[in-house]
Amino acid sequence: MSDVVVAQGLTKRYGALEAVKGISFTIPQGLCVGFLGPNGAGKSSTIRMISCLSPITSGTLTVFGEAAGISRSQIKARIGVVAQEDTLDPDLSLIENLLIYARYFGISPHRATGRAEELLAFMQLADRKRDQVRELSGGMRRRLVIARALMHRPELLILDEPTTGLDPQARLLVWESLRQLKGEGVTILLTTHYMEEASRLSDTALVIDHGRILAAGTPLDLIEREVGAEAMEIAQPQADDAALLDHLGAAVRRHDRQGELLVVYAANSGDLTARVAELAVRPRQLLIRPTHLEDVFLTLTGRGLRE
Amino acid sequence: MSVQALRAGAFAVWMRNFWAWRRYYRSSLLLNFGEPITNLLALGLGLGAYVARMDGMSFFQFIAPGLLSVTAMNAVTFDAGFETYDKLNSNGVYQAMITSPLTVPQILAGEYLWEMCRSLLYGAIFFLFVAAFGLVHSWWALLLPVPLALTGILFTAPALWVAARARTHEQLFYYFTLVITPMFMISGVFFPVHTLPAALATFVRFLPLYHTVQLSRELLLGQIGLPVLINLLWLLGYALVLVWVPRRAFEQRLVA
Repeated sequence: MSDVVVAQGLTKRYGALEAVKGISFTIPQGLCVGFLGPNGAGKSSTIRMISCLSPITSGTLTVFGEAAGISRSQIKARIGVVAQEDTLDPDLSLIENLLIYARYFGISPHRATGRAEELLAFMQLADRKRDQVRELSGGMRRRLVIARALMHRPELLILDEPTTGLDPQARLLVWESLRQLKGEGVTILLTTHYMEEASRLSDTALVIDHGRILAAGTPLDLIEREVGAEAMEIAQPQADDAALLDHLGAAVRRHDRQGELLVVYAANSGDLTARVAELAVRPRQLLIRPTHLEDVFLTLTGRGLRE
Repeated sequence: MSVQALRAGAFAVWMRNFWAWRRYYRSSLLLNFGEPITNLLALGLGLGAYVARMDGMSFFQFIAPGLLSVTAMNAVTFDAGFETYDKLNSNGVYQAMITSPLTVPQILAGEYLWEMCRSLLYGAIFFLFVAAFGLVHSWWALLLPVPLALTGILFTAPALWVAARARTHEQLFYYFTLVITPMFMISGVFFPVHTLPAALATFVRFLPLYHTVQLSRELLLGQIGLPVLINLLWLLGYALVLVWVPRRAFEQRLVA
């Protein structure tokens, strides 16, 4: 299997700010790779460089085996981009949005019309095709942006927070369509704040923060490696943490304070349960739950607000 | 980039603008003609009644070609200014274009092509109006599309640059009220430039609008001679320089 994107020591600097600090990764063909990271982590800068929308500062970046760069129209012709912001054309109808975008790619009007009808049906927008874009709901606009990004049958689809602000139904529809595209062999690069989205869709997740890759692997690998399978949430005053952790000892592999909760990740869950049972005073509230990608994310990137 | 690629890209951008224009062309036509035609009638017929002759012709005759040039200039300046500002800031029209294979030079070429067409269209309609008043005296007027097409570069380029640099809508108005309007008042639309103090007259001869006004007047009246060639060379020279002006500002906004 070949790699669609290969980055080595990739760096992006804006003046004094170094947004991406020498990261290396590959995106294999046909897989879905998720970029996870807080706002300002460097995700958007990285995908802008891959999309040939931003020059790289140093390092190397190849897309489809060619060096990426802002004049690389031949690379852009093979990429579909769903930007974070709404970039629909407000002066045009739904179908005109798709047809004009096809023009930008040099697709003949005849072929574009067939493709546009097909994609409007795929995104369940066919009955709205003559409407003005400004009349659409947020979920519909998002679906239209995705449909537009597919007009030229891209081999790599890049989505920057595709479901931010969508209701659960709209989100499910977007996920379903992305899964279907993956089934058709489209390589997908996705950034998201939603860990559920990342676990459901991505084959590989890269946790990025402060311009660096903190961890990479399949969602299950990351969970296994960073936090283990189970977590225990204990409600108790923070002052008691040290004593409790001392008592739990080697049964805990990692712990984390989340407001009024102490979260301990089990090294060995049987052991942990046994030691908790030995406690003279039981904590006010105690919950054992399976871990998920969010635990990995918060453990690696910390809890401080970024904006 | 090959000329062929540039042309294909420019045409796609032109098409986008045309599709959008189809939706609001009625108001656009109205807005672009209300003012110049009022100016022509009020000043030409009203004020003109009190002005005996100007450079050997009626005042009405004198100001008609100048107002034609100004109509075209305003049509491209306001469109290139406001629309471009919105395409960069309020909606993602350029952002969507730049994710396609289109490059900044192709986008700019498309905008120039579009504004040239606007200049030609609005100039042509104004011309019909002027012709209806019997103010066209020469077949040379058929060459008016030359200064009109050049207007589509000369006044689009700075407006695109200002729109790419402006942080707010108000900053666009600085350009309109501090550059475009004064140029309109002193470039020989309402009175011959040689009546100005010498230093100011010399300054005015460096303004592009002065040359589009002169050239339009010469063509409309059939005053064909060396000045026609000189005006044309000035305009071509300006166009060749100005056409590059917005590129860097656009690249900083779209592909940084």
